[in-house]
Amino acid sequence: MHAWTWFLQRISAVILVIALGLHIGFLHFSNAGQPLHYSDIMARLNTPVLISLDILLLIFGLYHALYGLYAVFLDFDSGKKERVVVLGLLVAMGLGFVGFGIFGLFYTTHSL
Amino acid sequence: MPDTLHVKVFRFNPESDVAPKFDHFEVPVFKNMAILDVAMHIQNYMDRSLSFRFSCRIGMCGSCAVYVNGRARLACRTQVSALKTQDITIMPLPNFPIIRDLVVDMEPFFEKWKKIKPYYLPKKEITDPVVMRPDSKEREFIDDMLDCISCGCCYSACSMVATNKEYLGPAALNRAYTLIADKRDAIRVERLNVVDQTYGVWRCHTQFNCAEVCPKDIVPTRSIQNLKRRCVLKKFGLFK
Repeated sequence: MHAWTWFLQRISAVILVIALGLHIGFLHFSNAGQPLHYSDIMARLNTPVLISLDILLLIFGLYHALYGLYAVFLDFDSGKKERVVVLGLLVAMGLGFVGFGIFGLFYTTHSL
Repeated sequence: MPDTLHVKVFRFNPESDVAPKFDHFEVPVFKNMAILDVAMHIQNYMDRSLSFRFSCRIGMCGSCAVYVNGRARLACRTQVSALKTQDITIMPLPNFPIIRDLVVDMEPFFEKWKKIKPYYLPKKEITDPVVMRPDSKEREFIDDMLDCISCGCCYSACSMVATNKEYLGPAALNRAYTLIADKRDAIRVERLNVVDQTYGVWRCHTQFNCAEVCPKDIVPTRSIQNLKRRCVLKKFGLFK
């Protein structure tokens, strides 16, 4: 399992660098110098490309962070049972946050 | 250069002492004096009971590694002048059981070596000498990593070893890599399976402490990262 999770962490790091760069670029430089209007923000949040980008950020950002937490947990020299429990909690937490994040993203853009 | 060194030496005999202590010595300085000379001077002229280990005196055998002024070093290759201070503290290597004073038990360290089978086993089909160009990329990398003298400096500096005694440690993993990267070796996959464990390569947090203290300028972290890549290739069925 370690090889896969480690490999995915490397992949997520690369995706984060690219996706975060694009995210910051869209957020801060697309309307540089212009007053920010609510309608512009809503239009941006309804763009499929940007929604996809945010979902990518959410999934890979969470994976990267939670894998880091798990790596820190391993430093505490825990037993196999504890490792499985913590891994299960982190996976549940990750799935929960991803679901909550995606729900929030669509709820915000479609209800306002 | 000062005339005298203020030397603080760690003393502990587990068979008779309740707790460790430090003894203080004023040691006269001479030109090109190494830490090993300091220890020998103390043992010859001041306290004959001081225990420390050494053999070759030229940085080849790795037996004189000690912890000097907060860093693992070879006593024979560490010049007093390089420390740029009169105050010297000599302690045994961390992460090892203490036998007496500066002498540590290397058994846990070599137990890890045994696990990775640190010897070359040629493939059966190889009968003729294999041509491996000395300037090939593979050979150049392996050659650098072969300089290890198993002194234990990296093992003592590794905070992952400090937090988990099961971790194979930088030296054993580096040795494993030199064999796994060698295409002539018959048990590369078996070796890779040994290091592909929670307390194998995956324990390394790439802190580079091992590389920082290695007296041979080896970077075990590089070997470990290369092993991790091979573990991934193995999962994809690309490592044979």
